[in-house]
Amino acid sequence: MVDNNRFIVSHAPFWHDGSRISTRNYNIAFAAFPAILLGIIYYGMPAVGVISLSISSAIIWEFIFCRVTKRSLTIGDGNAAIIGMILGMLLPATAPWWLVIIGTFVAVIIGKQVYGGIGANPFNPVVVAMAILMISWKDIFDFNEALISYDLDFAMVYPLAALKYFGVSAVDSFSMGDLLMGKQSGGIGSTFGLGLIAGGIYLIIRGIIRWEIALSFLAGIFITALIFNMADSAQYAGPVVHLFAGYTLIGAFFLATEDSSSPVNFIPMLIYGAGTGFLAVLIRNIGVYVDGVIFAILIMNLVNPLLDKIKPKAIGKVA
Amino acid sequence: MKSNKELQIAYGLAIILLVVGVLSYSAFSAKTPDQPVRLMFKCVAGKILFDHKTHTVESGYSISCSDCHHNLEEGETDPEACGECHEPVSQDEDVLGRADAFHTQCIGCHKEAEAGPEKCELCHVM
Repeated sequence: MVDNNRFIVSHAPFWHDGSRISTRNYNIAFAAFPAILLGIIYYGMPAVGVISLSISSAIIWEFIFCRVTKRSLTIGDGNAAIIGMILGMLLPATAPWWLVIIGTFVAVIIGKQVYGGIGANPFNPVVVAMAILMISWKDIFDFNEALISYDLDFAMVYPLAALKYFGVSAVDSFSMGDLLMGKQSGGIGSTFGLGLIAGGIYLIIRGIIRWEIALSFLAGIFITALIFNMADSAQYAGPVVHLFAGYTLIGAFFLATEDSSSPVNFIPMLIYGAGTGFLAVLIRNIGVYVDGVIFAILIMNLVNPLLDKIKPKAIGKVA
Repeated sequence: MKSNKELQIAYGLAIILLVVGVLSYSAFSAKTPDQPVRLMFKCVAGKILFDHKTHTVESGYSISCSDCHHNLEEGETDPEACGECHEPVSQDEDVLGRADAFHTQCIGCHKEAEAGPEKCELCHVM
């Protein structure tokens, strides 16, 4: 039985409930703060430079685009700032200034604005930018090489690179606790697992991201890594490394869940999340790239319109 | 929150963070330490990450500078980098080429200490 009361709508005038896009984006910034803070503690002022330049240049690119195309100014909604912030979190602390500026240009202009701005982008703008940067300047994203002068109190080896090139025994020394506490080299804001999980749970509770996507993504990673590990534990690492190293957690809570490039219905969300996790581990284990999260999300963004075709049947009938 | 206040926040954020970013890049750029922590050797057979610090510190292998930097004069504390003399293709018969120099040095010492690694791919990222 359809609950008829649910479809009764009062007539105009309506009252706006006061929610704004900017509030959502301020919440995302708040959720990302712990992960960024630990990155700054570890990598110092160069990390502050990358994050600051990334946020400001993303806002400036959007400002320039709006002015050039004579559209209304949208920088106030905070979306450009969030794009810059998340891009900065993925970069190594030693990223040169020009890479940051090119990255935010690709993300804001090519990833978002050319499609018509916020809500119209088929791909996550940050993921588009990262994919282009990682392919174009792969040495900068070799975290072992990028962070060569940093002497921190943990093994400064990028776990996924060690796993890919030197096998499972090379990542035995990484305990789950170390990985969760950010004791691993990587992007500025992508290594502090606990901070990212806390931020993600906050965003889920506030209703800003969907738990279905985040959780199914992590489940996809876990199950695929487990299957590989069970098939050949000498060659493929267990799920713990895959879950807590590389871009997995930032991908689960800050990248895959981006509004306009992810599905809206329950089943599609599960397929989208699990598919992304599956592809990420597939690329890591048998692909040529060290980390597959970025490319996996990009591919599943592409599948997203198809997934959204799986939808509930419309209520009612033609008389 | 009104949209003009949101705009003001965005303008403020863009300007302040631009200044902070430019200052951080210009004044606090990541400096290479006097004594390298780690080195990344690049060659056609794949990169090699060399942990310089582990080889030198007392808690590591505690090797003295002159054991590897063999042309170090008595009392001299500022050794030259290997690549200064050992070029990829040696022009001088008396000076080993870069690959030979590293292979002799690394493999020789590790064999002497009966420590791994023994296979190419345990040093070279392939």
